[in-house]
Amino acid sequence: MEAIVELKNVTKVIKNRKIIDDISFRVNRGEVFGFLGPNGAGKTTTIRMIVGLMRITSGDILIGGTSIKTDFEKAVSHIGAIVENPEMYKFMSGYDNLVHYARMSKGITIEKINETVELVGLTDRIHDKVKTYSLGMRQRLGLAQCLLHDPKVLILDEPTNGLDPAGIREIRDYLRQLAREKNMAVIVSSHLLSEMEMMCDRIGIIQNGKLIDVQSVHDFVQGTETVFEFEVQPADEAILLINTSYPEAASKRSRNGISASLEKEDIPTVVQMMVEAGIQVYGIKEVPKTLEDRFLEVTSEKGETAHV
Amino acid sequence: MFNLIRNELMKIFKRPGTYVMIGILVLITSIAAGFIKYQQLDNISGNAKWEQRLKEETASAKQQMAMSKSKPEKDYLKRQIAINEYRLEHRIAPEEKYSTWEFVSDASQIISLAGLFVIIISAGIVASEFNWGTIKLLLIRPIKRSKILLAKYSSILLFGLFLLSILFIYSTALGAVLFGVPDKTAPYLNYYDGKVTEQNMVIHLIKYYGMNSIGMLMLSTMAFMISSVFRNSSLAIGLSVFLMFTGGQITNLIAMKFSWAKYILFANTDLMQYFEGSPLINGMSLSFSVIVLTIYFLVFQFLAFYIFNKRDVAA
Repeated sequence: MEAIVELKNVTKVIKNRKIIDDISFRVNRGEVFGFLGPNGAGKTTTIRMIVGLMRITSGDILIGGTSIKTDFEKAVSHIGAIVENPEMYKFMSGYDNLVHYARMSKGITIEKINETVELVGLTDRIHDKVKTYSLGMRQRLGLAQCLLHDPKVLILDEPTNGLDPAGIREIRDYLRQLAREKNMAVIVSSHLLSEMEMMCDRIGIIQNGKLIDVQSVHDFVQGTETVFEFEVQPADEAILLINTSYPEAASKRSRNGISASLEKEDIPTVVQMMVEAGIQVYGIKEVPKTLEDRFLEVTSEKGETAHV
Repeated sequence: MFNLIRNELMKIFKRPGTYVMIGILVLITSIAAGFIKYQQLDNISGNAKWEQRLKEETASAKQQMAMSKSKPEKDYLKRQIAINEYRLEHRIAPEEKYSTWEFVSDASQIISLAGLFVIIISAGIVASEFNWGTIKLLLIRPIKRSKILLAKYSSILLFGLFLLSILFIYSTALGAVLFGVPDKTAPYLNYYDGKVTEQNMVIHLIKYYGMNSIGMLMLSTMAFMISSVFRNSSLAIGLSVFLMFTGGQITNLIAMKFSWAKYILFANTDLMQYFEGSPLINGMSLSFSVIVLTIYFLVFQFLAFYIFNKRDVAA
């Protein structure tokens, strides 16, 4: 796979404080890369450095092989972006806004503008002033603005912020489609984990300015071990039983009974043991780990090790 | 670059405020014209005895000058006496009828209002982008920041030129309608350094406009600089307008005590002082003022461009 965006040991220092600490990763063509982290972790700062709104203290960022530091104009011509909310000139029509941005890139025709308007579904309202637009329409206009020049990289900071569920779904499908059909690299940032799980191919987790993990969503959610939940009676005896036979299982009370981390192969044995011990088993189910669990797990783990 | 300037002008002219400014400019000019016309109707005194009148005027001015102690007043009277004597000597009557050129000359006071509007626009041209949040989308285009800033500055100049043309053309046209165009334009009598010379009226007016625009240019450049450095349009407007109204007086006050006042921007913005009247401080010359103005201009531009280029956009 071809890397289109490459961050090399990027560090940002503001007033002697390291906001971003030695981040390196690559984003390939045709993939949706999620940038995940709690508020204030440095997602937006990193994105601002990629698009050249902020300077890089040390390290470098390459877009399509061109450094944003040395040849800003060429590097940034590959990028279409919305940084935070898509702020537009409210006193002008949506169309005028697009014309304004079209004049700033080379070779964008009127047809291209109309085509993009059609694509984001704003044809009916494009000649109205932006101040009359709803938030969803502004998001679409923002999207039109970054697609005008057919960029190779699309960067969206919190793209689903303030959208209703239908709008979120629409944006999600649309981004996946762009990545697939136009072979674009899409970088999205969010703190909404469920969103990222559905939208992204790979995820980079950032915390306190450090990139602590980059994994594919699939691997990330799966992890290594699985948790099972047993609906049993009496619970205390069952916990004792599991913990003596499988000390690593760390069985404990959960909402509907007890939980234990076990291999799938061990389940029949455990059930047999319980039955023999006179414990009544009402149900067993695998608890799927969500990105959220993993995220909290990873961030707290790394957070702890960082303190030691 | 052409496209960038088109963008900036679009952003200026798509806002209703701009048309309010143009409206006020036209309105004030019209009111001034109406006022003068009304006064004129009251005051149709014969011009036949102008020689006698001028003589009387000169005599009283001389008397006044003997009593006067302040330098500006003396200068003013001296000028009046010199011009009156020149008229008597060369038999040039004061304009018989108030004509469009007199009106344009009187209306040129309104330039400072146009200047005020240009300051308001230039104070907002960078700061507003930060306020609106549009700066983020503006700076991620494949165009260097300095080019964007240059386009913004050029647009301010064009806008200033536009307002001045409106003022000039409108006052000429209105003057022509209300007061008429004279067949033979009386020359403008210029007084400088104790001597009186004749000048073509239209050339004088254009020069007068040009010279007056220098103060406007410097102040809007300053507003532009403040706007780009502090990203705050209120500060830029407030400070520039405050200096526009008080800068001259403060400089005059300082000039009475200290000779370094000649390095203050406002001591130099009025280049007319080298063509008419007398310089604020002895020892100042046209080339001195031009150099001082150039230095101020370059410093303002350097600050604006340097900081705008370097800035991390976090708004």
